[in-house]
Amino acid sequence: MSAVALPTLAEAGRKIAAGELSPVALAEDALARAAALQPKLDAFIEITAERARAAARRAEKEIAGGRRRGPLHGIPYGLKDIYDAAGLRTTAHSRLLLDNVATVDAETTARLEAAGMILIGKLATHEFATGGPAFDLPFPPARNPWNPAHFTGGSSSGSGAAVAAGIVPLAMGSDTGGSIRLPAAYCGTVGLKPTYGRVSRRGVAPLCYSLDTTGPLTWTVEDAALSLQVLAGHDPRDPGSADMPVPDYTAALRDGIKGLRIGYCRAFNADGEVEAEQFAALDQAAQTLARLGAEVGEVTLPPNAQFQACARTISHSESFTIHAKDLQEHPELYARVTRERLMLGAFVSARQYVQAQRLRRILTRRVDALFESCDVLLTAVIPGPAPVLEETDDGPWRKQQPLASVFNVTGHPCMAQPCGFAANGLPLSAQFVGRHFDEAMLLRVGHAYEQEAGWIRKRPALATL
Amino acid sequence: MADDQNSDFAAILRRNGLKIPEERREIMRDAVEKMQALLRVLDDPLAYEDEPAALPRYDLGAKR
Repeated sequence: MSAVALPTLAEAGRKIAAGELSPVALAEDALARAAALQPKLDAFIEITAERARAAARRAEKEIAGGRRRGPLHGIPYGLKDIYDAAGLRTTAHSRLLLDNVATVDAETTARLEAAGMILIGKLATHEFATGGPAFDLPFPPARNPWNPAHFTGGSSSGSGAAVAAGIVPLAMGSDTGGSIRLPAAYCGTVGLKPTYGRVSRRGVAPLCYSLDTTGPLTWTVEDAALSLQVLAGHDPRDPGSADMPVPDYTAALRDGIKGLRIGYCRAFNADGEVEAEQFAALDQAAQTLARLGAEVGEVTLPPNAQFQACARTISHSESFTIHAKDLQEHPELYARVTRERLMLGAFVSARQYVQAQRLRRILTRRVDALFESCDVLLTAVIPGPAPVLEETDDGPWRKQQPLASVFNVTGHPCMAQPCGFAANGLPLSAQFVGRHFDEAMLLRVGHAYEQEAGWIRKRPALATL
Repeated sequence: MADDQNSDFAAILRRNGLKIPEERREIMRDAVEKMQALLRVLDDPLAYEDEPAALPRYDLGAKR
């Protein structure tokens, strides 16, 4: 299928700069891969072939003329279909927005376009970035490239599938309760949820104003750093955007982790009902970090139940508020699972919402206190490998509360990345967590671990066809 | 589910203009019950100074 050997973002950038790789060939390869894998993975809602070809030709001409914009110029990417791209539909994977054509780019889209990236298409999501995989929508749910019978995780489901399958080296996701990190974890990619406020949310369909975060899914940590370099920065038209300086995210990437203090939240594994092989993989990751010279010690997070109560209360209240009118007037247009999960917000009281916001402050302070003795935390992000797609929980109340929403509550930056494989061949994942706005440290630790552990050298079989 | 909880459930649906098909009502009632069980931790009293308010960013207008 491929004339190009699945370059990472960084490798593609270096080869384009050296004149060894053509943006047109790279885009054609991504388009061929997207089309060929679509029947197996359903990763895309729309493949934007003509737009991509025109952009690739433009990039090639600019680069040949000595006007290379930077390390992302001429490289394909994908957008979860809740991000606006002018001239294209933003459906949010919903019947409600089938005719919703964006007139303006989301701030993040605009930044990636300005960096010269080539949009290959809009990617599957859970409806409005909530609910779950659903079979009663106009578009099918995405499937896991490691085994298409299995769930990708969500809600950035198509983003996880497209990166893991080697269609694009960067896909944008959004994360309100784990929606970047869960598909990254189940699909064996890197998923970076930046600090709340670090990356603009303007032009991205909202789910929960207080928790929504946007960020990249990539194959490597270095690629996450390169992506964040372009995405991070103040957006005065996003009221949740922080006016904070943006450091060079690749400057310290290769500094190693000797002497850094890693707090392993090992008790959280039991609190979060983590399965044995995922638990063992996390223990092994902690040992690898120690072997690299880090000081690894156990630390304790507040009880998961407190984080879950906060996350569910805030998320259900705000998402119900956003969708109340459509739930009243057109409930039949939503997938059943989306509709029922959104309706739960009607049953949260004002008192509970305010209490959750108060408790959120307390929990954030407690996690902040852990960073007085640690540079980075290591925690679980998934309980075990991806379940079978048709067996995913589709009830209104999830049987198992996601582990990932802990750091949506506190706003800390965090990153899921592979830490092994289960006996059934599906990826396992570790989560690193940093201080607010210290994504650079997070990336440094993640890169050192990734290079030592070597899990990224294994790709899904269908990605190497 | 007790009668008063049933009527609370129905009242909240009515007040919010929501309809649930008959065959899903029991499942939704059960979901609400489970959610309320998780949220019980929010009943724990907090200190007066544990407040959620944040300063609105009035300076942004000038930067637009």
